[in-house]
Amino acid sequence: MGVIVTGTAVLAALLAGAALTYGLERLFVQHGREPGPAHDVEFNRNLHIANSDRWLLPAGPVVAVAGVALAVVVVPFGPGLIGRDLGIGLFYVIVVIDFVVLGLALAGWGADTPDTVEACYRIIAQLVAYVVPLGLAYVGVIMMARSLSTISVVNAQSALWFVVLQPIGFVLYLVTGLMQSYRAPFLEPFAGSIGGGVLGVSGGWSALLWRVALSGVFFLVAAIGAVLYLGGPSGPVLPGWLWMLVKTYALMALMLGLGRCVRPLSTAQMLALSWKFLIPLGLVNVLLVGGLILLGIGP
Amino acid sequence: MTAMLEIVTFAVCAFIAIAGALGMTTTMSMFRSGIFLMASFIGVAGLFILLAADLIGILQIMMYIGGFLVMILFMVLVMHDPGGAMMAGMDMALIERWFSKGLVPRGHPHDGHMHGDHKEGHDSDNQENDAAEHASGGGHEGHSMPHGAHAAPDHPSMQHGDDTGHEGHAMHHGNGNHSSTEMGEMDMSMVTPVRPVAAWLAVAVGIVLVGMLLLRPAWRVVDALPDPDSARRIGQLLMEKYMVAFEGAGFLILIGIFGAVLLARPSTYPDDSSRSAKVAVDEKPEPIAHDGLPPLTRSERSDEHQARQQRPKEHCA
Repeated sequence: MGVIVTGTAVLAALLAGAALTYGLERLFVQHGREPGPAHDVEFNRNLHIANSDRWLLPAGPVVAVAGVALAVVVVPFGPGLIGRDLGIGLFYVIVVIDFVVLGLALAGWGADTPDTVEACYRIIAQLVAYVVPLGLAYVGVIMMARSLSTISVVNAQSALWFVVLQPIGFVLYLVTGLMQSYRAPFLEPFAGSIGGGVLGVSGGWSALLWRVALSGVFFLVAAIGAVLYLGGPSGPVLPGWLWMLVKTYALMALMLGLGRCVRPLSTAQMLALSWKFLIPLGLVNVLLVGGLILLGIGP
Repeated sequence: MTAMLEIVTFAVCAFIAIAGALGMTTTMSMFRSGIFLMASFIGVAGLFILLAADLIGILQIMMYIGGFLVMILFMVLVMHDPGGAMMAGMDMALIERWFSKGLVPRGHPHDGHMHGDHKEGHDSDNQENDAAEHASGGGHEGHSMPHGAHAAPDHPSMQHGDDTGHEGHAMHHGNGNHSSTEMGEMDMSMVTPVRPVAAWLAVAVGIVLVGMLLLRPAWRVVDALPDPDSARRIGQLLMEKYMVAFEGAGFLILIGIFGAVLLARPSTYPDDSSRSAKVAVDEKPEPIAHDGLPPLTRSERSDEHQARQQRPKEHCA
């Protein structure tokens, strides 16, 4: 019984978060700039794609939404407002969001048009490149909090937010978070030149599920960022859930605004940035955080 | 209630693991095969989580999603028929047909109007076409050139950028025997004569393993619950008891990365002979000086050039 209530609450949180995310994102879409995953989709009719794989193409959005919904389970929205406090929470989030990539790859290959297969290749190429620096951005926080649980990370920041102690990690998280959610400078898998990638061949219910999954991924990235570096739902005066909401969407607006300042990068440029710059930066961040811990700074 | 839930979860995970393995061995599409193998390992990860080894289970999911997607990418790069379009037209056993459902087999025209006037030798053409399509990924929607044009000796196919498919046509027209030899070769490469033996071997190994489980004299029953914070335990074990093995594995991977970087590095050719071979390949062929035809004047040449430029546009329109 408890499982059903929790599941419903988590789904409701995901839907509300995704809807707010989409609203905020449309505010940042400028005329003449590519919208990326906020690309317009056809909700009113189902597209029939010749030669598409009848099983892989519909499986894509379902797998993606399932991954996002599973990840929302460990996000603390307030004191006591959490689906389940897992002992391996943060690692679980990194892994479960990978199902979105799997879903995009399935649908991209399954649709069997040149554009979507191209999108499938781009997505798989980006996967490993962003996961490693993203993991390094998590590692600094985990070292200081001495736990993988999201609740423990929030509690460890009751005195001082980690963004003050680990500014390099925070910047790293902003960049890799944009990569993970395919937002502005890294929107190559959803570029207009390939017809919006997978979104170009979705229609009806699959378009709706893609909208939920892609907005939900960005919502998750911002919410986890707020938990990792901005103290999550903790804060004075206001209730916890309101703090979480404000922090999440402030972080999201910051990421969207920063992303709009940069020219969109091609997949090759994104891979070069990730492997040649972000991964060494992440390792330096881990070293610095280790030094801080040895000096006795931090919780 | 909890026991019931455990049994249901076990049944679902075990089903995913076994059906995934079965699908991986029997489907005709290499892409699906990779996805089925991934599903099988994710089912096993579910069993790990059920056994309270959540960190190991999640690690397994992470490794197999990322690793298998990259593996599938490389497979698509080098395989002849990653989408299974060629093999889906073959005679299949029931289970193979079931796991290959929805694949568009070779030999079906993609568009009626496109291949309509070209019935004989259709199969082999289509094979070449599909190979090209799957290498470049997908249906040729923009390609509506009438098939009569392929008979013309100097039709401007090169400017379309998809010359592989046209080469197939040219080869077919030039050589009537080509289609049958091609089919023979493909059948040879697809049929696995040892497959029944392999299946029986797998069944035998399975029986031995299950028998070893059943005939084991006694299972020790322990009351103690497993440590809920398995991540901490694993971290301590890796950093204390198994540190040498852990660091050794890390060192091995580091050396592997060095090797990959070394291989991918742009390098010069090692000795003079292979460099001259490379230069010989790159050199333009010598012009035929004595072909007995009058040399082209400048105006003729530019006319022909313009004609080449315009023809594809007419065809595409």
